[in-house]
Amino acid sequence: MKNNKLLFLGLLSLTFFACNDGGKVDPKDTESMYQASPEEVEKLIEDFIMVEEGGTITIPAGFYDINSQLILDGINNVKIIGAGMDETILSFKRLTTGGEGMKIVGDNVLLQDFSVYDAPGDGVKAQHCDGITFRRVNATWTNGDKSKNGTYAIYPVQCKNVVVDECIASHSRDAGIYIGQSENIIVKNSEAFGNVAGIEIENCDNAEVFNNNAHDNAGGVLVFNLPGLMKADARGTKIYDNEIVNNNHENFASTLAGNNGNAVTQIPPGSGVIILAAKGVEVYNNRIKGNKTVAVTVASYQITQFPFDTSNGWSPYSIDIYVHDNEYERPAALPDMSKELGQLVSMKNAHGPMKTQDIVYDGILNPDRGTDITTNPMNICFKEPQMEDLHFNYFELTEKISDIKAFKDYSPFVCEQTIETNVSHLMQR
Amino acid sequence: MLTNRIKISIASLVGLLIFLIACNSSSPLVQKSPNDIDFAQIPYPLLSDYGFFIGEMKDLVANERVLLYEPSSTLFTDYAEKSRFVWMAEGASASIMDNTWQEIDFPDKSVLIKNFYYPDADGGSRIVETRLLVKHEGKWNAYPYLWNEDQKDAVYKMTGAMLPLAFTDSYGRHHEIDYLQPNKNQCKSCHNQNEEFKPIGPKARNLNWDLDYGNGELKNQLQKWQEMGYLNNFTAAENYQSIPSYKHEDVDLNFRARAYLDANCAYCHNPLGPGSTSGLMLSYEVSDSSQLGYFKTPVAAGLGAGPHTFDIYPSKADSSIIVYRMNSSEAGVMMPELGRVMIDQEGLDLVSAWINAMK
Repeated sequence: MKNNKLLFLGLLSLTFFACNDGGKVDPKDTESMYQASPEEVEKLIEDFIMVEEGGTITIPAGFYDINSQLILDGINNVKIIGAGMDETILSFKRLTTGGEGMKIVGDNVLLQDFSVYDAPGDGVKAQHCDGITFRRVNATWTNGDKSKNGTYAIYPVQCKNVVVDECIASHSRDAGIYIGQSENIIVKNSEAFGNVAGIEIENCDNAEVFNNNAHDNAGGVLVFNLPGLMKADARGTKIYDNEIVNNNHENFASTLAGNNGNAVTQIPPGSGVIILAAKGVEVYNNRIKGNKTVAVTVASYQITQFPFDTSNGWSPYSIDIYVHDNEYERPAALPDMSKELGQLVSMKNAHGPMKTQDIVYDGILNPDRGTDITTNPMNICFKEPQMEDLHFNYFELTEKISDIKAFKDYSPFVCEQTIETNVSHLMQR
Repeated sequence: MLTNRIKISIASLVGLLIFLIACNSSSPLVQKSPNDIDFAQIPYPLLSDYGFFIGEMKDLVANERVLLYEPSSTLFTDYAEKSRFVWMAEGASASIMDNTWQEIDFPDKSVLIKNFYYPDADGGSRIVETRLLVKHEGKWNAYPYLWNEDQKDAVYKMTGAMLPLAFTDSYGRHHEIDYLQPNKNQCKSCHNQNEEFKPIGPKARNLNWDLDYGNGELKNQLQKWQEMGYLNNFTAAENYQSIPSYKHEDVDLNFRARAYLDANCAYCHNPLGPGSTSGLMLSYEVSDSSQLGYFKTPVAAGLGAGPHTFDIYPSKADSSIIVYRMNSSEAGVMMPELGRVMIDQEGLDLVSAWINAMK
């Protein structure tokens, strides 16, 4: 009987989070907008095909119901400009083939002032671009039940010199703003909400993420390094001056209740910042508040329990991490129990069962660097004001769950280091 | 007065009719030739403008030096039948490159012509589209042509089209689909090596087999190309690889499945293709089991992973993401992500059997 009540409470809280996506849930009322004619839609597809180097594609205000992809194919110095995020809406709801709504290939391309709705797969994908700027681009899915929501909303991959500025990304099944396998990156002044992951930097070099608001996702900001990719050895990310709050959304990345092979399916709802197998990451001056499971997690890839291949030089460990001067606030909510990582934190932390944690370090060591965690061989530094008031943990993980231990002692990890990034050349873009 | 007017209009109508008929019949009389193509003017508005076919367009009878070719393993496109032709300008020739894929380096003024058609109820066929790949000034470009309902010609259509089709496939099953002709830039979604437009099918290792050229001529395609002057460095068939047809059931299952993946997936899933972001590499020659997907977790599969953990779960086809995505026709889930709205049941069965047979 008691169990039933608990279950009922759990269901209630799920419903609450599902409905409360953080304000901007309702998509714009697009029916009362000007509806672009089939000729205007065809003209737009044609503009993407016919644009010449240095050209501008202007997309007037209106709702565009597009059943083909918009593809820029290797044309440089192109500007694609709408009339505003609320004024120019490109809907790909009727697309029946194609991996994304908009695909951009070309150097020095600017995407500005439009919205992309309901693309199957990804919203806007940019690949092999040197110089790609997303400014005031909103990418989202308007399906209530999320069963058809796409993977990434804003998705530059294998690019150099990427700027995401004043964008909005919401309701994606994976990451809202996802920068993959790229170099030299700024993500700023943007909002990501209602996604599984708000902002994710994956296998990237030299990235800065600042002045963003990542709220009401399952995980707020992620820095991941995944195995098996051509860009194996990535390094250098700074995350600063961001609001990373209330990331307690259910994790809807998998079609079923369990996980699948996408690492993102393992994210426990209630995660602020997660650093996974990353090298050279600095997290500072952020307000990491209201995340019910863990504000900052530093983990190695082994925690996923997925097999991996290191033959291309990739390493599963998080190394050279510096977390300092952030604001924390634990919410009055129970930590996640829906994911294994949530259960680990909820049940095995050093501060008592079912308590929200501020910092969790999985304590997984590369034996080549050392086997005594008190010597901090992976160079993981935490230097927060009032460290003593935070719920800090490092783990000693074992095969047998009952043998897993957690420790409150942060003293081995109080240190400083310099993380190198340099994106000054992108500031004027 | 009134009768006069009527007479005049009838006369002018008849005149107009005669004029129209004369105009209509003029094109077959002056047979065009690809030799007259002005490559700077491409794309021509009509397929017939190029002169690749003689007589009735719908019969697709090849003009002189327009040569039929066929890769050993082919891409599935919603059970469409395909006929492919190659044409090169007089005096120009291609060479087989000394690389893994044995690609063919085509000269300028090469054209690859691919017709997509379905058998219709009365024993004929309905041609849906013709895609031209044209090499001009060192670069390939794609030009999609959509066939008219009356099957007399095809019109250049850069924005693509959707057309409802009912047909019976070669296995005797009836289907009704909304066929999708890609827009011009979607062509590059597959024809893409390092963002350079590339043909996919005509590689030496795909053409190194005997094709029936009609009139009793059964000949190795590379040999035929060399004889026609379309190749300049072919030596002997045994000096080149030969990828088998995945439809040949007497071929070893492993080779068949790998031939299928090569033709249907590897154009993207190779280190220079758009699918390289996934780390999954499916070319015929790949031997690294992790790159091939064995126990490999996905990277950006999203919904496409379904409930599964690995691209290929050896011996468990039903738990493999590759099979899950082949067995879908939902955009965002299905693979390939473009070029089909249907599931390739035979391809699915083949790849499933291959995975299930893994130890």
